[in-house]
Amino acid sequence: MNWARPCTVFWFPERVVVPNRKEYPWYHRSYNRVPTIDQCYTDDPVCFFEANEQWIRDRQVDREIVNILRQRWRDCAFYEGVDAPVKCVELQKISEDAETNFFIKYGDLSAYANVKDCYMKQKHRMLWERRHGPVGTGMKTEQ
Amino acid sequence: MTVLSVLRTAAGPARLAITHNSQQVAKMSDHRAMNIIPSRFQWNKFKDMLHLYFVGAAIPLLAGIGITNMMVGPATLSEIPEGYVPREDEYYKSPITRFLVRNFTRNEQMEYEKKMQYIWETEHKRQLRLIEKRVKKLMAERGDYKAWYYTPHIARKYQRIVRKETEELMERRPAA
Repeated sequence: MNWARPCTVFWFPERVVVPNRKEYPWYHRSYNRVPTIDQCYTDDPVCFFEANEQWIRDRQVDREIVNILRQRWRDCAFYEGVDAPVKCVELQKISEDAETNFFIKYGDLSAYANVKDCYMKQKHRMLWERRHGPVGTGMKTEQ
Repeated sequence: MTVLSVLRTAAGPARLAITHNSQQVAKMSDHRAMNIIPSRFQWNKFKDMLHLYFVGAAIPLLAGIGITNMMVGPATLSEIPEGYVPREDEYYKSPITRFLVRNFTRNEQMEYEKKMQYIWETEHKRQLRLIEKRVKKLMAERGDYKAWYYTPHIARKYQRIVRKETEELMERRPAA
């Protein structure tokens, strides 16, 4: 902030307090990648536990990503106002694609879902697609 | 009606005392007077509690937080240097949180690994117990092993004697 004259709210912290403090760092926790659920044996609960924790962290990251993309679209729409349907189309498309993909991966699992539920959802989706074609084209009836 | 008029005359001096002399209503012999005023209990109690919660709690805490923020200040976010494993409290920004994490909180990585160890141990025990159960079931079915469901036959000669005597007794009984 570039204040021409000393403003009391910022002058005291900037000029008096901050120079007398020592700077010291803090870090974000970095987690190592562990084997995912498809690499675990069925009777290995430790591997399952680690895969589950990793899946929870990845889900949180995906949630934040979707949120950021949505917020970009919303900021553009707020700024443009009436012109939003014309000017914010790219951001809208990106945001909606992200939401669709998020729903494909994590949607309709319960609040107590774990990584195995998600994996089984993927398996069932692939089975359904093998039998009926891509999702969104309808179920094939018995011929 | 006479009762009321009697009361009226009896309360005369007291009524006069209330209206004209609010200093000394209770007729006491001492020189000190009891001033009868509306109660100031709630107001005094309120001031007392306000004083306690501010001077005892709010002002020390706010002063402490203010002084830590002015003297020590929050940390700056930075990249983890190569090959360096940060301490547990270096993952937090505020100096107060760092203090608490350093002195009072459990290590997150340690608890994670303890949990995994517990899962492994219970799974180990579970597998052993499953095996035990299966072995017991098979021994019960086949009856070919001496560990469970086996009653050893000891002292056969006494069994033979008892069996012979029981047979003789049953023969001597009258036919039922």
